[in-house]
Amino acid sequence: MQLNRDEEAILAGEKGEGGRKAMELLVALGDIYGAERLVPISSAHLSGVSYKTIGEGGIGLLEEMSSARVCVPTTLNPAGMDRRRWEEMGISPRFADRQRHIIECYERLGVTSDCSCTPYLGTNVPKRGQHLAWAESSALSFANSVIGARTNREGGPGALAAAIIGKTPEYGLHIEANRAPAVVIEVEGEDIDYSMLGQAAGAIAGARIPYFRGIRPTIDQLKTLAAAMAASGSVAMFHVEGITPEAGSFSIAGLERVTIGHREMAAAREKVNTGSDPELVAFGCPHLSVDEIRQLAAMLKGRRRQGDAEVWFCTSRHTLAACPKEAKELERFGKLVCDTCMVVTPIEERFKCTATNSGKACNYLATLCSQKVVFRDAKGLVELIS
Amino acid sequence: MKLQGRGISRGRAEGEVLVSDAPVSFLGGVAPATGELTDRPGGSIAGRVFAFPRGKGSTVGSYVMLEMKRVGTLPAAIINEAAEPIVATGAVLSGVPLVDGIDLSLLRNGDRCIVDGSAGTVELPDVEEHRVVSCFLQCGEEVLLLKRSEAVGSFQGHWAAVSGYVEEAEAPHQAARRELREELGLEPELVRAAGPTWVREGDTIWVIHPFLFQTKERAVTLDWEHTEYRWMTLMGWPG
Repeated sequence: MQLNRDEEAILAGEKGEGGRKAMELLVALGDIYGAERLVPISSAHLSGVSYKTIGEGGIGLLEEMSSARVCVPTTLNPAGMDRRRWEEMGISPRFADRQRHIIECYERLGVTSDCSCTPYLGTNVPKRGQHLAWAESSALSFANSVIGARTNREGGPGALAAAIIGKTPEYGLHIEANRAPAVVIEVEGEDIDYSMLGQAAGAIAGARIPYFRGIRPTIDQLKTLAAAMAASGSVAMFHVEGITPEAGSFSIAGLERVTIGHREMAAAREKVNTGSDPELVAFGCPHLSVDEIRQLAAMLKGRRRQGDAEVWFCTSRHTLAACPKEAKELERFGKLVCDTCMVVTPIEERFKCTATNSGKACNYLATLCSQKVVFRDAKGLVELIS
Repeated sequence: MKLQGRGISRGRAEGEVLVSDAPVSFLGGVAPATGELTDRPGGSIAGRVFAFPRGKGSTVGSYVMLEMKRVGTLPAAIINEAAEPIVATGAVLSGVPLVDGIDLSLLRNGDRCIVDGSAGTVELPDVEEHRVVSCFLQCGEEVLLLKRSEAVGSFQGHWAAVSGYVEEAEAPHQAARRELREELGLEPELVRAAGPTWVREGDTIWVIHPFLFQTKERAVTLDWEHTEYRWMTLMGWPG
């Protein structure tokens, strides 16, 4: 990779150890992926926030980088607990202490600490064509696909290094030609469950870019679809005919074509459903939007709480502040949990079976949280608790 | 012997080589408290030069390496065939030198090894390098093979191309022409030179430079190194 004089100086350590390390990491990643140069970014979004995932090793890194500062707007993924209600979540004081320390380390680096996987809904909204370094798989797919911004599937440290330098290696989805679809997915049927569509489509696409026909998803459904495909496959970008901004930029002639209908989605549902009798019913993966909170409040209005499962509605503080009245309605049925979600908090210490309406959560509840999974759509979850 | 690869993570470190044939995930594949490999034999990677084809698995693997740094169980250095982002990220952030682009078949468990991630080199101080040329001579459709005499230092009685050591301060193509002159009395025309091939044998690495020459002269004059010669088509090579 070619560096200019300023970049060479940072690599030589002229701007401190944090900057040197960040530049060394960007050069290493750029060389591995065959990038020719660094490209300036407009924002960064970091994973690697939960104490459950990064542990003491991650804390050591953040302390070491403390001389550096991010130079573009940078947001954080969910942490391992609600920063205010952690005791109600059953988090230990030691975990809470280490988690707070992690967030303080990020704050010292200049990172905004509204911990959410949906920064694009308010705290970090990209524009079409901007280069980004984003590390949350569902958010970066939304930014690429729905907004038309440009980011690769970054790891947490790579995104942090990019935020400190303000640049990222130019390869992959930063380059126009690499944003073309590779497989056409024809969707058949009405009343599509976007979690299960994403679950089936991600398995087909793998790391390729799918091009959907036959669906007209809302913004919230696109968010669900992006999240599910990033987890069941490693899809970092997709197109939806007539909906997403770059869908018309590429020819789909000659591409492989696959059909997904109710049979394929039912098969996906059967595969993820491994439990019964959930001890935790969790909404909001990705974090609930204002519209989703309003819809849930409308569904729950006039109903009474039933069952003894714990109930969480996971969202961001930013979103919660925008709909306090509806949030109060939800509080009759469970906890409004902010800064975190059911995947990155240590639920395995309290629960063995969790119910979700998220395709993404189905994958990670099983692998990262040792949970049996009950999958229902939002209405089905409402039926479980009221 | 010094092998040239590509430096991915800077710094210089020395240790004993531990080679593993399969890709490695630090999450699940290594016990951070001890550095023990958990999914294969080999023991602990702590303080050793850990050579494996490439990394794999979850991105949390980068953080496992940071935890190993904290408890002091990191390998001294890493050698990969092709580095990938998870291990490369962990190596850069935990300060472990990493060089890739190295043919792992040249390494043996227990080799003393110096990895220089800044220069992109892997040095094996106890392994000797011998540069040799191997010259194939073509005449029309046929290629010349020679039977090595009992007086030569290696592969006595075997059929081979014109071969010999590259002397110090000699370029491989010069050595090739010298050998052809000495062993056959010919000055043929060079058709093609391929990049070298490295082969490990005991404490030696042979660096073999292959050449293809062509001639119109079928009569050759053998010296003491060979007892017979044959012009062979590709179909009729002796065993």
